[in-house]
Amino acid sequence: MATTRRNTSQRLTLVILLLASVTVITLDYRGTASHDIGSIRNAARDMISPVQRALSAALHPIGDFFSGAVNYGSAVSENARLQEEIGALRRQVLENAQAEHQLQQVLAEEHLPFVQNIPTELAEVLSGSSSNFELTFEINRGTSNGVGVGMPVVAGAGLVGTVISAGHVTSMVRLLTDPASAVGVRLGTGNSVAVAVGQGSGDPLRLEYVTASMSPRIGQRVYTSGLMGADSYPSGIPVGYISSVGPAGGSLTRTVLVQPFASFTNTQYVAVMQWLPPA
Amino acid sequence: MTLRGWLRFVGVLVLVAVVQVGVLDGITVAGAHPDLFLLVAVVCGLAAGPQLGSVMAFVSGLVADLFVPTPYGLSALCFVLVAFAVGLAAGLPGGRAPYSFKVVTALLGSIGGTLLYAGLETLLGQPHLDLGATLVICLVVAVGNAILVIPTAALVTWAVTAGSSGSSRDLASLAGGSATSR
Repeated sequence: MATTRRNTSQRLTLVILLLASVTVITLDYRGTASHDIGSIRNAARDMISPVQRALSAALHPIGDFFSGAVNYGSAVSENARLQEEIGALRRQVLENAQAEHQLQQVLAEEHLPFVQNIPTELAEVLSGSSSNFELTFEINRGTSNGVGVGMPVVAGAGLVGTVISAGHVTSMVRLLTDPASAVGVRLGTGNSVAVAVGQGSGDPLRLEYVTASMSPRIGQRVYTSGLMGADSYPSGIPVGYISSVGPAGGSLTRTVLVQPFASFTNTQYVAVMQWLPPA
Repeated sequence: MTLRGWLRFVGVLVLVAVVQVGVLDGITVAGAHPDLFLLVAVVCGLAAGPQLGSVMAFVSGLVADLFVPTPYGLSALCFVLVAFAVGLAAGLPGGRAPYSFKVVTALLGSIGGTLLYAGLETLLGQPHLDLGATLVICLVVAVGNAILVIPTAALVTWAVTAGSSGSSRDLASLAGGSATSR
């Protein structure tokens, strides 16, 4: 008798908790309370950020040690690849200097909007995502520094992601590689446009809407298109280079993979571009 | 559980949030890291049984949801089910299970919880990772959580037994105990 009563009580508790969870999810998902919940989330992250910053500073070397030990093999091959890239980049710097000079002249004359004219806010990466299924990281800049939701985040090499939530002193950035990320891109300097979609940590981006008539090349650079529809970005931000092109075969589209320029592991500093998509 | 126990549990959750966000999120293996909040849910089921454990796991899930961009309440829903299942499977509230039992429960509970979370996310229409990446995450979370289960169990048991006769016992014995203590 007592066991039956206890079992009933347990089940009742479970049902109540499940209903409570579903209610909270519904309120957030349908937007009824999402603003309030967003504010609470931002406040919680802001509160924890001083401790987070202190721990990050103190424990960064330990984290690097473990990451280095675990990823030693890939670090060696990456080092060799980087040495090759340094040589190529040195040559490219010389070529770019002249091109840059010419470009600035054209921009000044034509008043074209371009990435380099957009102010940026340097930010430090505080931590990675607390969830294993969302590829995000936390930065130490928020609305008090002019950072807002939807602003693109770049690192030295190119686009890193976009701000998806901004607290007073911290913000959350969704990485390009997150499956929820979709960036409108242009292939090289031509008119071919596509959408780069994240496939998860360590995997290249997948280009969607690449028709059989397009002719993407391996090594071709990919930039943000500035077209609206997917996550919005200003045009011309380097995203990555094409690392694989599948055969068109009989299908209407090609499978094209893009290796992002930006490194997402051990990134310590990023720049938030203070640009918002037009309303 | 007494009011003192709940206050202790809130303190444990604050500590867990700091360790998760400040330390564990930065230590990734194959792009994944241990999930301390999920481990707390597993341990709640283990230490407090299905009924109280699921209530504690619900609270833990609401706190965990503050730090992720998914729909609020998703972790709470997942953790409630995990804690209830672990509580039923364990069948011995009080946190006096041997180390090996806790480690195995942490392994299985973490795998189950991670798969459940991924499934619920997909049900809600969230973009999801492929099966291979999900299995890698399961493995990393399970191993990481198994390593962390003993200190986490000690903290949760410390909260659960506040005000009861067991509260004066040594933390170490509460954390692991032995087969004889059962």
